[in-house]
Amino acid sequence: MSRVLAVARNTIREVLRERIVLVLAIFGAALVFASQVLSPLALGEGKKVVTDFGLAGSSLLATLLAVFLGSSLLHKELDRRTIYAVMAKPIRRSEFLMGKFLGLWTTTGFLLAGMTLMVLALLTVVHHETPWILLGSLLLTLMELGIVTAFVILFSSFTTPGLTAFFTLGVIVTGSFAEQILYFGGQGESSLVAGLTGAFYWALPHLSTFNVRGMVTHGVAVPPERIAFGVSYALLYMGAVLTIAGAIFERRDFR
Amino acid sequence: MRRVWRWAAALMPFIAAGALAAGANLLDEAGRERFRWGGTDELLYYPSGLMVRQAALGYETAAADIAWLRGIQYYGEHRQTDMKFDMIGHVMDIVADLDPAFIQPYIFGGFVLAQEMKKPDRGLQLLERGRIANPDNWNLAFEAGFLHYVCRHDFAAASRYFTWASRMPGHPEYVERFAAFASEKAGNRGMATLLWKRVLATGNKYMQEVARRELKGLGEEVQP
Repeated sequence: MSRVLAVARNTIREVLRERIVLVLAIFGAALVFASQVLSPLALGEGKKVVTDFGLAGSSLLATLLAVFLGSSLLHKELDRRTIYAVMAKPIRRSEFLMGKFLGLWTTTGFLLAGMTLMVLALLTVVHHETPWILLGSLLLTLMELGIVTAFVILFSSFTTPGLTAFFTLGVIVTGSFAEQILYFGGQGESSLVAGLTGAFYWALPHLSTFNVRGMVTHGVAVPPERIAFGVSYALLYMGAVLTIAGAIFERRDFR
Repeated sequence: MRRVWRWAAALMPFIAAGALAAGANLLDEAGRERFRWGGTDELLYYPSGLMVRQAALGYETAAADIAWLRGIQYYGEHRQTDMKFDMIGHVMDIVADLDPAFIQPYIFGGFVLAQEMKKPDRGLQLLERGRIANPDNWNLAFEAGFLHYVCRHDFAAASRYFTWASRMPGHPEYVERFAAFASEKAGNRGMATLLWKRVLATGNKYMQEVARRELKGLGEEVQP
């Protein structure tokens, strides 16, 4: 575990050196404050606008950061051949991958949490209300981010940065449509199509599980059971994706 | 002298960029006047809410806010020009598709459709949609009662809706008063005055403007 944490710490340092993190953090802060500027135009719905834009913006920026930064993370190690130096040490490839995953997830998670706390602070100062229920949404979005990060690590373990970003974005889009895919597959007469869409449904991450932004915006707290289910589902799913990633990376020829 | 030239050279790209941007904006403004883009048909191509919902990829409520802001902008623009709000129902339907729990679009959309566009049935249809999605919301039932009373002059229906609203959780005390008043003195001019005064006290700035106008029409003195 200490080896994994060492790689994770190193990954956080490496990721923080990238300018895009700073740019996205500034952009995120600007987005939260811009939503406050827009709120007087919303005819009394300013608080909702700030909450919606803040939560959506933080989730979107953290996801984009995970996809675009993570897709080149492993590739850089291979390109600069620094991976040989790491692999010469007593560390398994899957441990290295796990460290990369934890480092990336932690960094993007901090961006997400920072923006959500900014929304909370803004609502407290300007709208004189502190909706702590936003933290329920933060936790579930963090889990969603974990799944996205796991996919980034999976795809980057065997393909190029460009394809990694493309495949991960594909998973995010189809993962958001998972229920609809199952529904439309079941509407036809072909049992083959129904079977295929069913298999597709079970293989895809059900990202809508983590979307409680609408709920908390309207003042409804996320039930603890839902959080527990979401966190368990995410941890299991991340475990599955990272296991496949580890298996592929163990067999990868670095030459 | 050399130093001045060096500064001027450094500033040149910024000055050139500023000039180009200003030129582009002038051209855009000229085109806007000449070809009338962004005119009255601007929301004709606004897609359906269900499509936007699918495309929103989990960010439906933020998309609903954007549509809501766009709807208000559309209303504000037309309020200052031709007073035609043909697309307002469409925009509010989109907001409702994206975020069915967002109450204001039903109330504001219903109000504009019924009061400003003289289409009370369409306004009530939007409110009914809201009531189906949010059956415990007293505000929607109250607004339906208001539109029945003020726009359709269907006092019995208004009384029914006010009574409904008075049985829902979280309603303010005045809802019960309206329910009692409507059933006792249906058709009373004083009731309409009271209802418009409530809009003046609780509605958004556009609804307050309409309330002021209506109250003046009823012979009431209103603070500007």
